[in-house]
Amino acid sequence: MLPDWSQVLDGLGIATTTNIATHVLVDGDGQGMLDLQPGRITELVGGHGSGLTRLGLKLLAPHSRRSPVVVVDTRGWISPEAAWETGVLTDRLVMVRCDDQILWPKVTAALLEGVRAIYVEVPGNIREQDLRRLAALARVRRVAVAMRPLGNGLPPGVAYLRLRAVGVTWEGANQGHGKLTRRRLVVEATGKGARGIARRFEVEDEGTDALRVVSDVVVDQVGRAVG
Amino acid sequence: MWSLTRSDAPSDEPVLIVDERVTGATESVLEAGVVLGMPRREAEALAPFATVLPRDLGDETRRFEPVVALVEELVPRVEVVAPGLMFVPVVGAVKFYGGEEALAERIDKELSSSAGEFSEKTPTCPSRTGVGRIQSRVPYLMGIADGPFAARWAAATASPGVPHIVTDTISFLSRLDMGTLRESMGGEEMIDTFRWLGVNTLGDLARLPRETLASRFGTPGVLAHRLATGEDRMVDPRDIPPELGVELAFEEPLESLEAVAFAGRNLAEKLLRKLRPLGLAPHTVTISAGAAAGLARTRVWRSADPFTERALTDRIWWQLRAWVETAGVPGGISSLSIVPSDLSGEGRQLNLLTDESSAIEAERALARAQALLGPDGVLQARAQGGRMPTERVSWSRWGEPESPVERDTDAPWPGATPSPAPALVPPTPDLIEVEWEGGLPTRMRLGSRWEPVLTWSGPWRLSGRWWAGESDADRYQLVTSVGAFLCVVVNGRTYLAGVYD
Repeated sequence: MLPDWSQVLDGLGIATTTNIATHVLVDGDGQGMLDLQPGRITELVGGHGSGLTRLGLKLLAPHSRRSPVVVVDTRGWISPEAAWETGVLTDRLVMVRCDDQILWPKVTAALLEGVRAIYVEVPGNIREQDLRRLAALARVRRVAVAMRPLGNGLPPGVAYLRLRAVGVTWEGANQGHGKLTRRRLVVEATGKGARGIARRFEVEDEGTDALRVVSDVVVDQVGRAVG
Repeated sequence: MWSLTRSDAPSDEPVLIVDERVTGATESVLEAGVVLGMPRREAEALAPFATVLPRDLGDETRRFEPVVALVEELVPRVEVVAPGLMFVPVVGAVKFYGGEEALAERIDKELSSSAGEFSEKTPTCPSRTGVGRIQSRVPYLMGIADGPFAARWAAATASPGVPHIVTDTISFLSRLDMGTLRESMGGEEMIDTFRWLGVNTLGDLARLPRETLASRFGTPGVLAHRLATGEDRMVDPRDIPPELGVELAFEEPLESLEAVAFAGRNLAEKLLRKLRPLGLAPHTVTISAGAAAGLARTRVWRSADPFTERALTDRIWWQLRAWVETAGVPGGISSLSIVPSDLSGEGRQLNLLTDESSAIEAERALARAQALLGPDGVLQARAQGGRMPTERVSWSRWGEPESPVERDTDAPWPGATPSPAPALVPPTPDLIEVEWEGGLPTRMRLGSRWEPVLTWSGPWRLSGRWWAGESDADRYQLVTSVGAFLCVVVNGRTYLAGVYD
């Protein structure tokens, strides 16, 4: 099953380079926002291809050093190899595959009862009250949660921090030469976790477990790959 | 020790029973050089003619159950360690029957007279590592010694049908090889170190000062020394308050295996939740089931390591399945109880760098998720070699033994798709539309829109196995404004093989 590409494009909103103004402010607090906090939900908003799956897996990596971490995969597409590359320990990663929208809230609730950190793909059409209950459960059980809504975003107030992919740039590939080496992902953070102010920062990913947050960079090449 | 049989084994063919290692084999397979306990791959290479069957512990327990029940009629409170191996406390029974030889003779008589009922017309598969071949009409080995460890190895060195009664346990232990410690306490690295130091037998080990072992190897070293010197006794014998036991009663007797399994899992969880705040973990549990017809069945299970929730759930499941399938609980199960004994403080021992309590809670949560989704819903992955992203991951069900890795990760794998790995990989490549001009990609269709290809890398040629009907393929990394994709072109058609999400 292919992703819903129309949603991908609408969600990402960066069809051309002109959508990103050159005055984008990159905030130096970005690194702190890339920590999954116990009892908090971090919402990752953006289409497939924006790099948020890898970012979500990366958020689990430090937690995997202490206890098992879980990825809830609704389509069976998430690759554990990408998780290992971001630093998640192999024997601490458990993949839960749930494509049933009826079972999804129950399964997620069961997992929130016991695990300490989890990355969850949220299918479309999950009821708002179910999502609010899950958020309350995560707070009570102090579970660090990264949620990736595949349909509409989470209802207001559920996420402590909302990270929206604003733009993505790839480096390394050049008209048949080279290979993909580095991704620059521009992320906008909003919500309580961003102290109520929309902040933007850039995340560099070189395919290893070192994911860098870059400060004071003006983003002007989003959408253009350079060799 | 009892030799178990497999009903599903072909009666006229050589058979190999395996998990990670060989746990059973027919005579012809043993004659080919296969040894019990040998790694599976090695055994398969030595006996390629054998039919390989995976080990089924639940089925083995069911087959072992009548043997346990028979022995239990002679001596109460036997302890089952694993299917095929049980310990019988003989202190009281020796007085009752008039000596160890008389007791052994009585057990032998009962087992011999019933051996025909237990064995089925299928190949006999010795089920315990190191037992050796069993050719007697009586498929068991019996040993009597001071302590479970010595008794286990007395049985292993006994002749079929002839009990091995050890009169001088320390002398007997001193001749045993260091490898005998492996089954009781693990510690592979420690055993290798002992061998490297020239300590090859338990006698050599017993002569070393215990303080030295404690300072060099810590608790495992002390435990090994205790076993070597015949001080193997109960971990922490003390009276268990009855309130530590857990019990479930059912208005409707349970007859289906699914219902029994669910009840068993709940009970295991309840017991360990009760013990955990006290920092206790059980090494021995007594599982009791009340039948609707009024009969009560009881069985003791023992483990060298404290029972984890999964290990305890497995034991309960095997035992209940054995009772249900052998009609041991007529009318269904109306009540269940587990009473722990041999408690130790293992539950308190936390690792500095890992959060053991988190791991236990996570295990329970994953077990619940697995109960909701089925066994294939919760998975773990391991890296393996391969050229395509789908090939480089070996999946296994969570909580089950890992499936063997099919492709070597250390091999060079020329032509492998370069890193970074795509974060989203469809289980089977999906057909997508890509437009090409002069062999170069220009745009690709994503949903209802065509997206221009900004740049690309590749192609990397993947030569198919022509003898298996596979075509050659070219891989491309295509970059659009919404992200990058891994595509495979086969016979002029383009497939999506990954999304760099």
